[in-house]
Amino acid sequence: MIPEPFEYHIPKNLEEASRLLAQFGGEGKILAGGHSLVPMMKLRLAAPRHLIDLGRLTDLKYIREADGKIEIGALTTHFQIQSSSLLKDKCSLLPETAREIGDVQVRNRGTIGGSLAHSDPAADWPATILALAGEIQARNVSSSRWIPASEFFVDLLTTALGSDEVLTAIRMPVAPPRSGHAYLKLHHPASGYAMVGVAAQVVLNEAGHIESANVGITGVGPKAYRATAVEAALRGKAPGRHNLEAAASHAVVGIEVNSDLYASAEYRSHLAQVYTRRALEKAVERAHGK
Amino acid sequence: MKFEGTYTLPVPREVAWRELMNPQTLARALPGCEKFEANPAGGFDVVLKIGIASLKGAYQGHVEIQDPNPPQSYRMKVEGKGTGGFLKGEGVLALTESAGNTTINYSGDAQVGGPIAGIGQRLVQAAARQIIQQFFQSLTNAIQASG
Repeated sequence: MIPEPFEYHIPKNLEEASRLLAQFGGEGKILAGGHSLVPMMKLRLAAPRHLIDLGRLTDLKYIREADGKIEIGALTTHFQIQSSSLLKDKCSLLPETAREIGDVQVRNRGTIGGSLAHSDPAADWPATILALAGEIQARNVSSSRWIPASEFFVDLLTTALGSDEVLTAIRMPVAPPRSGHAYLKLHHPASGYAMVGVAAQVVLNEAGHIESANVGITGVGPKAYRATAVEAALRGKAPGRHNLEAAASHAVVGIEVNSDLYASAEYRSHLAQVYTRRALEKAVERAHGK
Repeated sequence: MKFEGTYTLPVPREVAWRELMNPQTLARALPGCEKFEANPAGGFDVVLKIGIASLKGAYQGHVEIQDPNPPQSYRMKVEGKGTGGFLKGEGVLALTESAGNTTINYSGDAQVGGPIAGIGQRLVQAAARQIIQQFFQSLTNAIQASG
């Protein structure tokens, strides 16, 4: 199918983009890489009357480090993140996640900002940004704010972005010492979306026990979430297989697990626990490697 | 697809029943309701603009209330068709009162077809839950607005 008719706008700068968004209200939608939105428009699942293309806002493509934090512009593509040597060195979970997204074409066009703003329940970035306790910058004509990842993902396809706010940047701490990270994903064989995706950060203390663990899970519920029950079960524990497995068994506590044609809620819950354990094991292995 | 859940309305059961049977309240409560007209053959014809976040589509449909057992329960049948696909649903709503509030227990079955059921299939369950919650939230607002 082809999309329903729409008007196409290509603002020169952020102020103009934000003004257009405010002007069109619910009928305006931002276009970044287009690889989540345009397929939905072609199927007529989404039919915005006005598309606001951010393609000219090239100053939103950047990756930099300052004051112990990594900051990434919203229009940075998955491929740019995947191939960044700065990130491989300072925050390796990001390139590791980027590699798992979609396919080559999607990675060349899709952007981290677009993925987060769309907040598909099986997208990869939300799990990773949650695990890194990142912050997301939202700007409109008059204001700019940083939204903690823990508050950003509100519900299915719904974020904390205001109706006239543009997602402009993402920031997170550089990987702490004695930490290890992993992103493990079970790809749906046709769509490539995560049937389950687990992002884990494990920080060890001097005694080699788990100081803290952050676990972000996608593909399982109506939105990506922090598996706080898993994290609590790991605090202070020795990072052996038995403890990791016991903690991973809490992966879906309090979550309304999705059931669809490809995986029942029961099977998906089982997958979540297995992938959580594996992600934790890998993260611990890498923490030891440091 | 089976669905079920509960919602508590902050009004006594008599009021909840009356408002659930009131076309004007329903028209205000149904998310994105652009048309709500009694059909001479029975039930109501509706046009709804529903969806999640900015992914909304227009759906034309028909709603019927059956087996009314005031003020305890009734059956509702919904049929809708739109660019995103079609749906057919049937559910039973049971009302119980406690401390001046009404708890509605709903359970039913829905069939979904078309693009929402194909490419959107993995989203259907969570989307249905959210839309049902939206309906009850709007219903609460509509009841409180009418005093």
